[in-house]
Amino acid sequence: MSTLIPEFRNVGAAETRSPLLLTRKVTKIYPTREGRDVLAVEDISFFLAAGEFVSVVGSSGCGKTTLMKLIAGLFPPSAGEIVYCGQPVKRAQRGMGIVFQTPVLLPWLTVLENALLPIRVLRLNRAEAEARVKDLLALVGLSGFEHTYPFELSGGMQQRAAIIRSLIHEPHLLLMDEPFGALDALSREQLNIELQRIWLTHRKTVFFITHSITEAVFLSDRVLVMSNRPGRIVKELAIPFERPRDFDITTQADFGRYVHEIRQLLGGSKDA
Amino acid sequence: MRDSSCTAARARAALSRLVWPLISAAVALVGWELLINVYPMPSYVLPAPGSVLRALIAGLGESPASRASFIFHLADTLRATILGFVIGSVLGMALAAMMAEFRIVQRVGFPYVVGFQSLPKVAIAPLYVIWFGYQIESKVAMSATLTLFPVLLNSLQGFVSAERERLELMASLDASRWQTFRHIKFPGALPFVFAGLNLGIVYALLGTIVMEFIGAQRGMGVIVTQLQTVSDTAGVFAILLVLAATGYVLIAVVRTAQRRFTFWTSQQGWARE
Repeated sequence: MSTLIPEFRNVGAAETRSPLLLTRKVTKIYPTREGRDVLAVEDISFFLAAGEFVSVVGSSGCGKTTLMKLIAGLFPPSAGEIVYCGQPVKRAQRGMGIVFQTPVLLPWLTVLENALLPIRVLRLNRAEAEARVKDLLALVGLSGFEHTYPFELSGGMQQRAAIIRSLIHEPHLLLMDEPFGALDALSREQLNIELQRIWLTHRKTVFFITHSITEAVFLSDRVLVMSNRPGRIVKELAIPFERPRDFDITTQADFGRYVHEIRQLLGGSKDA
Repeated sequence: MRDSSCTAARARAALSRLVWPLISAAVALVGWELLINVYPMPSYVLPAPGSVLRALIAGLGESPASRASFIFHLADTLRATILGFVIGSVLGMALAAMMAEFRIVQRVGFPYVVGFQSLPKVAIAPLYVIWFGYQIESKVAMSATLTLFPVLLNSLQGFVSAERERLELMASLDASRWQTFRHIKFPGALPFVFAGLNLGIVYALLGTIVMEFIGAQRGMGVIVTQLQTVSDTAGVFAILLVLAATGYVLIAVVRTAQRRFTFWTSQQGWARE
């Protein structure tokens, strides 16, 4: 695989570190009721180095979510292997946090109790976690909202609370499945900035799924471009911009070149 | 934003909701009294509202230790109803949870539930007399039996309709079956459970009264049959009024609990972007 912009390829540096997660020729076939098997993803091989921010871009239904669920250990691959921290993934991993497209907050719990759900399930120290919730709420500008219920929050605020929940048990790997896909453009930009800030503060490894090319290029160290079903990784691009990035870079020519290249790979004028 | 004008407006709205039922009740009572005056008929067919009121006051005014007291009998009816409701509800929820969690339990149990459901359950009453006797036990058993089914079916529906993403969230945390039930399925099913409990409380009272008709020594159902044998129709009407009020209060209690425990259902979707 060669890239059009080879001077930006710094993947080699990441590869020398031991990968946090590795997939080898992962394939997932779904059986359907009519007996026809659907090939969701095929032959997926990539790695995530510790501390990296990697995005997967692809159009709807290309198997991005399937890939995320495979990594999360929610179901096994039909073929191939997923290795996390040197161990094959056989079931759900406690060292991962997930953010879904919708906030999936429990409406009967306050923001604080929602954020502490992983702590209760994993039976971790609650007092320490409560302090972390306070810090994280401050980081995303939700201080003072501990005791409000999800229905009292806007969509963007709900998704911020969901991000806090995904970080509360201090996972090594954060899986995000189009987390800002349901938000309006302005909230989305704001949350991109906030996510970058969280990432720079906590240095988690982030596996970020999106269908927004701009979002992927803006946030990522590397972007994996996925083809339509069956999903395959057709290209891997390293994004070298300095951090912290602000939204002004999205108007720069270099930025535009990455966006353009990815759009070409995805087959034309999809949304940016 | 509950300023005084808002509170006053709400009070006016509540009052105006009460006005029409009160007017219609007054019209009905006057019409009833007139009907009896214009077309005289024996009081054992249709007693005058006045005599119903007198029977009501007499029944409620008796010493609660006396067998002529409505309170004496109502206490027993209430005790059986509430006990049966609690037992039937807990059993219904527990069975629903077992069926939702363990396929084998559902496979084995559900056909019996459906079969039992199509049986007119009050027909079991004579059997309960044989098994549990003429004391409170048989009444509790009947009211629990009638409560069980609506609670079971609604709860089961609730437990199996947990949102997929909530379950995936729990799965991603490697949560146990019990943790998933306790944190996701049970609280999420509460609106369904309460739909069952709302029906259940009505059936619980029904079950108790039916049992008191069939075989009991105390209870509102017992005095209804006693008053019937002496053709004291005014007394029967008075008891029906007491039972209607009792049912109303029981339903109100369950509704209040429902609002308290499912406060989030009425608010969902509010203030979304």
